Amino acid sequence: MTTLMVTPYPPYRDGIGAYAVQEVKRMRAKGDDVEVLSPLPSAAHQHLTLGGLRGILALVKRAGRYRSIIVQFSPEMFFGGCHGPAERVAVWGGIEALSYRTNLEIRLHEIEFGPLRRNPAERLAAARALRAAARVTVHTRPEITNLSQALGLDPSTIELVEHGQNFTMATTMSRAEARTELGLDQDQHVFLAIGFLQEHKGFDRAIEAFGRAGLGRQASLHVVGSVRVNHPDLTAHARRLDQLCRATPEAVLHDKYVSDEEFDRWIVAADTVVLPYREIWSSSVMERAKLYQRPIVAADVGGMGDQAPAGTLFFDDDESLVQAIKERAQTTLSRLADRVPAPGANAGPAEAESGSSWEVSVELPEREGVEAQIRARARARALDERSARRDSSAQAVDPLLSIGRLERPRAVSTRPGVSQIKRLIRRVINWEVDPIAAQLESLQRATVEAVADLEARVAGNERNNPDTPRPPER
Amino acid sequence: MSHSSADSVPAEGAIAFVSPRHGPGVVGGAEAVMAEAAAGLALRGHRVEILTTCATDHFTWANAVPSGVETIDHDVVVRRFPTSTDTSGVHRRRIGDRILAGEQVDVADQQLWMNDSLRVSDLWHHVLDHGRSYRALIFAPYMFWTTYAVGQIVPGKSIIMPCLHDEPTARLDIFAPLLEGARGIWFLTEPEADLGRRLFDLPKRQAVVGAGIEAPTNHEPERFRAEFGIKAPFLYYAGRREWGKGWHELLAAFAELVTTHPTDLLLVTSGVGELDVPPELSDRVVDAGFLSSSQRDNAMAAAVAYVQPSAMESFSRTVLEAMAAGTAVVANGASDVVRHHIERSGAGLLYQGRAELVEALRFVADEPRAVDNLAIPGRRYVADGFKWADVLDRMEDTLDRWLPVPAPATAPSTAV
Repeated sequence: MTTLMVTPYPPYRDGIGAYAVQEVKRMRAKGDDVEVLSPLPSAAHQHLTLGGLRGILALVKRAGRYRSIIVQFSPEMFFGGCHGPAERVAVWGGIEALSYRTNLEIRLHEIEFGPLRRNPAERLAAARALRAAARVTVHTRPEITNLSQALGLDPSTIELVEHGQNFTMATTMSRAEARTELGLDQDQHVFLAIGFLQEHKGFDRAIEAFGRAGLGRQASLHVVGSVRVNHPDLTAHARRLDQLCRATPEAVLHDKYVSDEEFDRWIVAADTVVLPYREIWSSSVMERAKLYQRPIVAADVGGMGDQAPAGTLFFDDDESLVQAIKERAQTTLSRLADRVPAPGANAGPAEAESGSSWEVSVELPEREGVEAQIRARARARALDERSARRDSSAQAVDPLLSIGRLERPRAVSTRPGVSQIKRLIRRVINWEVDPIAAQLESLQRATVEAVADLEARVAGNERNNPDTPRPPER
Repeated sequence: MSHSSADSVPAEGAIAFVSPRHGPGVVGGAEAVMAEAAAGLALRGHRVEILTTCATDHFTWANAVPSGVETIDHDVVVRRFPTSTDTSGVHRRRIGDRILAGEQVDVADQQLWMNDSLRVSDLWHHVLDHGRSYRALIFAPYMFWTTYAVGQIVPGKSIIMPCLHDEPTARLDIFAPLLEGARGIWFLTEPEADLGRRLFDLPKRQAVVGAGIEAPTNHEPERFRAEFGIKAPFLYYAGRREWGKGWHELLAAFAELVTTHPTDLLLVTSGVGELDVPPELSDRVVDAGFLSSSQRDNAMAAAVAYVQPSAMESFSRTVLEAMAAGTAVVANGASDVVRHHIERSGAGLLYQGRAELVEALRFVADEPRAVDNLAIPGRRYVADGFKWADVLDRMEDTLDRWLPVPAPATAPSTAV
């Protein structure tokens, strides 16, 4: 039987989706039969609007068809559309019900402790749901501790799954190639802060600390990412990051939406990946930095300490972040001092691909000459038409005249039955569309008349001015 | 059609062309270029696959042919995957209108717009599972889900043939990772490449490979006239009869011509889409329906002039086919690509706006002999610049440089 993976999924750009697809790939390569269900239409096999009671009940209904279900859990996916605490409790009840229908694994990427603290009923419902699941998995030990304490769960029932166990490389470039592709200096120490531009990521801290480190031109900081949705808080934060970068020498904001390959290219190009998060459970960026063995400077929050590889420099406050940046930059200075330049070391990949009145000779017609006549005639015709309306030689009204009268499309079709449907639709919507059409026509007429009147006045002024050029005589 | 699963394991090192639609009855420039390039590379000894959908209609995306694997001419393997069109399309329309109106649309809504139409989950997972087995995956055109979603799975092996037009969708953020992250970009024309460079921070591996025009050795205009009972001189338009292709502007201009000027010109059209011909033109517009390529070539040769009213062209194959048939082209100068063809060949007339189109048609009506002579340099322009052999050379050259065939592993020496 089949396993159902419930998760955000590509082509949506989403951290959990990117994580899940690597697990799906691994399972399919192993020969497992895996289907994917995503909360929005995507490359998944099915989609179902989750985020509330109706969604979870629909999922429970489908659950019996599957040998097992793996839920890549995030609060947004299950509670994003809830209308209050009672519905949240009910959704947890639905998650619990999933366990009675199939073998359920809940992979917790994030959980909101606030509502659990505030509402004992939700705390109880969440605890029941997690106890009922066949497996509850997280990525770091602190998450086990926090979760078991918050919900009164036995820590031994929560399993640890390595965050990067399914991660694969999206680029095979060397550091030099990646820097050439990205237009980065080969000799600078490149610091990288990458991900969606959100305040909790703390990229502003990294920029400020980088500025205070005063490394001059020996290092640069690149903040790479985009605003996820056009929310005023998020766009304001992106503007602030931009201002900070502009004010900080060698700090650059690359406000762009990057592919998985380019994301990895940036990691490969970096000397140090900076994770200045204010809050996080576990970090996919850290896993990708580990994948390419790039040194990390990270805030000691959430499960980062547990997830980080040996050699990671942790910081607790902004001052220690400045020190960590200085310490990492020293490694490049040492490397440069030791290095014997190799011929062509800075060279990137070599390739950079980069019975008529027409004046025309019938035997040897000249295209440009004919086109000039076409233009002149089109213009003259517009002038004639306008002259017929009023004695004027001005031209601003041309585009308005060329719009023509508003005509609704004919309710006909060559496809059988479609004409009748179109006529029926027209009858149904006439009461609403007709006044709008009439208003549009009046507006169009009034606009033409107003502009033509203005033209006439301008033309009158021009006639009184001997220097005004005249339109061509026909 | 074989009944084997479309998701069977592909031959190692094959070149895959990922096309939204493929096969007889499909009207689309990008799809035609992909099909011909696939056949051409297969004839040169490459293992070639076409990964496509079961749909033939790009409005409904309904599954019209069975899924599975079949082998067609020149041993090209075609894998067809079923489409999903189970969304309401409400977001597609609502957000699409905002995009066309030039509004700023955030990335979340852009993604919603992209996914609220056809999706091809099995194709996506086929490439997820087997993408690395292919030597290269070629995707076109940029704005379809099959390119946008599938083209980002194995970017290191993906070559995008975007078929870009200067249109609002080309400026959406979501397409930047697709084009900027790809292994390489194949453009069809220089103007398209210029547009691509203006809009995106493209990879250095980019080339104008072009596309070929297979001109018949002999056109038979009289055959087309006899087949469709057309005696009067006519203007011809072939392609999708859609607003976006300028069809309605052509109809309006033609209506103005015939109601204001003595002429017996007809407007003959072939392709797909509703004609929406006003009653006063019902005896002046002839719908030849869907034509075979030889019928279309004959129609091109029989026409007094071919009209290309579309401002959104990335290659404009029909313009080149008309030139190859010795027919002059009246074309919308708002398209940089068409302008490029007309200015270099001299074999046609450019217009800007409906008033100039009317006058250009009037010239065709008044001066048919001059129009015939205007067309003369077109044949040479196409014959010299659009040979499939040259296009395939450029494709092979870029493939060899960007995605070389891995050298076979050296056998360990047994010498002592």
